[in-house]
Amino acid sequence: MSVQFKSITELRAMLDNKLISAPELTQESFQLAKKYKELNCFVTMNEELGTKNANTVDLNDKNASTLAGIPLAQKDLFCTEGLRTTCSSKILANFIPPYTATAVKKLEDAGSITIGKTNMDEFAMGSSNETSYFGNVHNPWKKGYVPGGSSGGSAAAVSAGIVPAATGTDTGGSIRQPAAHCGITGLKPTYGRISRWGMIAFASSLDQAGPLARTAEDCAILLNAMSGHDSKDTTSLSSNVPDFLEDINQPLDGLKIGIIKEFDLSDLDSEVQARFEDSKKIYENLGAHFVEVSLPNISASVPTYYSIAPAECSSNLSRFDGVRFGYRAEDIDDLNDLYIKSRSEGFGDEVKRRILIGTYALSTGYYDAYYKKAQQVRRLIKNDFDNIFQSVDILMTPTSPNTAFKFDSKGMQNPVELYLEDLFTISSNLAGLPAISIPHGQVNSLPVGLQLIGNFLREDQLLNASHIFQQNSDFHLAQPSLEGF
Amino acid sequence: MIWETVIGLETHVQLSTKTKLFSRASTAFGASPNTNVNLIDCGLPGVLPSVNKEAFYKAIRFGLAIDAKINQTSIFDRKNYFYADLPKGYQITQMDLPIVLGGSIEILLDDSAKTINITRAHLEEDAGKSIHDEYEGFSAIDLNRAGTPLLEIVSEPEISSAKEAVAYMKAMHQLVTYLDVSDGNMAQGSLRCDANVSIRKKGDAELGTRTEIKNINSFKFIEKAINFEIKRQIKILENGEKVTQETRLYDSSKDETRPMRSKEFANDYRYFPEPDLLPVIISDQEIQKIRDEFPELPKEKEARYQGELGLSEYDSQIISSSKSMADFFDAAVKKTKNYSLLSNWLIGEISAYLNKEQIDIHASTLTADKVAMLINRIDDQTISGKIGKSIFEEMCVSRSTPDEIIESKGLKQISDDGAIEEIIMTVINENPSQVEAYLSGKDKLFGFFVGQVMKLTEGKANPKAVNSILKDKLK
Amino acid sequence: MDQETVRTICYLARLEIDQDKSEKIQQDLETIIELIGSLQTIDTSNIEPLYSPLEMTALTHEDLENSDNKKDKFLENAALSNKDYFLVPRVVE
Repeated sequence: MSVQFKSITELRAMLDNKLISAPELTQESFQLAKKYKELNCFVTMNEELGTKNANTVDLNDKNASTLAGIPLAQKDLFCTEGLRTTCSSKILANFIPPYTATAVKKLEDAGSITIGKTNMDEFAMGSSNETSYFGNVHNPWKKGYVPGGSSGGSAAAVSAGIVPAATGTDTGGSIRQPAAHCGITGLKPTYGRISRWGMIAFASSLDQAGPLARTAEDCAILLNAMSGHDSKDTTSLSSNVPDFLEDINQPLDGLKIGIIKEFDLSDLDSEVQARFEDSKKIYENLGAHFVEVSLPNISASVPTYYSIAPAECSSNLSRFDGVRFGYRAEDIDDLNDLYIKSRSEGFGDEVKRRILIGTYALSTGYYDAYYKKAQQVRRLIKNDFDNIFQSVDILMTPTSPNTAFKFDSKGMQNPVELYLEDLFTISSNLAGLPAISIPHGQVNSLPVGLQLIGNFLREDQLLNASHIFQQNSDFHLAQPSLEGF
Repeated sequence: MIWETVIGLETHVQLSTKTKLFSRASTAFGASPNTNVNLIDCGLPGVLPSVNKEAFYKAIRFGLAIDAKINQTSIFDRKNYFYADLPKGYQITQMDLPIVLGGSIEILLDDSAKTINITRAHLEEDAGKSIHDEYEGFSAIDLNRAGTPLLEIVSEPEISSAKEAVAYMKAMHQLVTYLDVSDGNMAQGSLRCDANVSIRKKGDAELGTRTEIKNINSFKFIEKAINFEIKRQIKILENGEKVTQETRLYDSSKDETRPMRSKEFANDYRYFPEPDLLPVIISDQEIQKIRDEFPELPKEKEARYQGELGLSEYDSQIISSSKSMADFFDAAVKKTKNYSLLSNWLIGEISAYLNKEQIDIHASTLTADKVAMLINRIDDQTISGKIGKSIFEEMCVSRSTPDEIIESKGLKQISDDGAIEEIIMTVINENPSQVEAYLSGKDKLFGFFVGQVMKLTEGKANPKAVNSILKDKLK
Repeated sequence: MDQETVRTICYLARLEIDQDKSEKIQQDLETIIELIGSLQTIDTSNIEPLYSPLEMTALTHEDLENSDNKKDKFLENAALSNKDYFLVPRVVE
């Protein structure tokens, strides 16, 4: 019985009904990963330890979690003890962490099996997975097309049905945009919902871990396991974590959905617009009603983000200096030479670009004009959201202005072209709000994603709205042909 | 030309917390290399800091002691620069909102006191240590010290000589040890300073170009380094040249300062608020609690020693000038009633011994209990003061108590009048010519008889009894 | 943004740019700076910067030792170390 394209809920039933054993399921996953090796969604496989863990997981334990025996993939910026963690960068190509990230540990403690580490944009900087040192990831829906980024490997692995779910991280859309491009569901939780301990930082005040899965329900299962306060991350929230499955079936009668006036959808591809209108109708039929809302400062999200994120990244990536871990250049004259050569040879172009921008934005004479200014505008953006959520429950936008594009077709001449891909996703990172992308059809045989943004800590509403949508449509069931792989 | 020196000091005080400022690794000194290092201190990818509140409490205690304003909302910032022993490529420090603002410290000069104003004091983490001369061609990095909490105390440029700078550092040392915010161990780097030195024509309003001498870690070096730098700068100015603004290092082996090579490139530290740490808020209650638990400071101790214990002003001052001496005295006072004898001993024999050995009283074999016992034995005339000194010498090299030493060496004083009389009679009988001379007016010979008695009793005879019986017998 | 500024920033970030790419990078930086420069038109007077989406105060740790020293693993991960230390080219202070 094939396990490809099965959701966690389905695999759980198969395991519980003894249609398959945990070790068999894990081996199936490894086999699928091998079969679709050409997708290039994995950087490192965890065969030895994964097999061992699958052999020892106790499914008969009365307290066994929903995730017991379920194979998962981890984005390669979560540190995993004894298992290579690269951030898809040459500078970490041989890094074996001596500890495991809290988010991964919680999933493994729940009995899930890590089968490997997924490819990504180098240090999560990119929207197409084309900045990886380990090569491009193909979109399972179309060879030679990007899966989106930065969690491109995770999205492709789930989309291709190799694993039912995977972890990702989202700094400006890095879970939601690849989920949209690969036709799966991806959730960026509230900032602080999941511990950042062991997650290699890109931009500390924006980074947030989250799940990518085939359904909203599966995202809820992962979120249940990953959430909660961690004393090792003092920016992780100590608020109570609800059971995200509990209210997932609530009817949507009376749900108030805001449509953001400032996002002019008429500029988008007419088919992308059409999908959006179709989904609005589905929600209307489910009892939701729509209101147009104004977030006057939201158009400033992209420049705000591209000031703050590089600034934080320029500092966060200073620790990669060739001294204590990571790549170290040879033939060096002195300490400065060691830094310059190790970093210049170890980092790719996009990472360098962002470090340089951030260094500039923080330097004397520019700090106020760029960095501080952006943090002020950030407050204006957050105020807009706070204001709007007084009157609506959730906001709805497309996840991305476009579908997946061909390798090497965007941002090559002008990096800003690619930055604008993040237009719809970035503002929720700036404000720390939860947001989800769910598939809602295809345009030219490539998936399109619908984004819902929720109020602070209201992942429950997003998961509920997404789940009901998926109960009443079958977009999330569409499978890529995997032609040519 | 009359020149005027302007000095500002940045003092780094290592706070005596058990764990680091942003991790729970030990801060113990002297551990083997890279063992007091955890994931956070190593700056591994993916790690996050968390704040040690005890460091805040110690910083606040310091702030309250110098009458400063305490910033109840404290923000940490990142100071970005590359250095081999700076694991993250940035130091977490406080830029805009230091925990302590303002305040002042009084320093003691030869015949007067001077108030030096404090600009600010902020918390920051220390870097690791680079060892440059142990391995051919390499510097070796030890991260044990990385992340140790420091309080950087910045003075106003109100210090006008090397002597004043030393007095300032001594006052600082006394204060931070008294407050128990630091062990003040300068040899271990717990208290060190950077000196900003500039020279101007007397009467000029504007400051001259300054140089910064980094990392001076003894009172002696502070004086020497600053004096060297003052002379160097005056020479430059008198030659009509200009002082270059730069960072310099004091080389004690050559007694000179020289420019620091590793700092030759101008840096831009790109400070920004540390996004991994939210603001730390200190409540009014927490500050009140720190006030309530405030330790007794030197001035208060001095008054108590004079008022309650009846010590002289001089003795009170000497004992309270050092926290460790005062602590020792306070502990011993609980075990003896003869405070003045105790204070005499502390200031006399004991201080002389400690100075000779160059150790702190708490690092010696002496304990308050044992010293109090010694004082009590002299006080109750079990032994004479002279025997006391030989017992003290023994105490310095062994772990025995005075009683054990008295017992094992049979040093108990002979106070039995009958026994003393017997010995005196022996002495008188054996020295008839001296007796005759004494009785004919040579009063000085009295000492001779005392000496003979002491010789026969190996110094154990009670001197008072010997005196009175001798006088009686030699009539 | 002139060549000199690019050089200074590269030095601060300890990065060097290949000769053949330097013009392109300079151009990219200019484009990005122009993008973020567009924020200047927004009035932010009297607006406090928002440095973290969590407007809360920090949780702190107690001053109790909890060591998880992994000296051997730390040193193992370094490209150059001996049994006790990380090693770098000799620094002259």
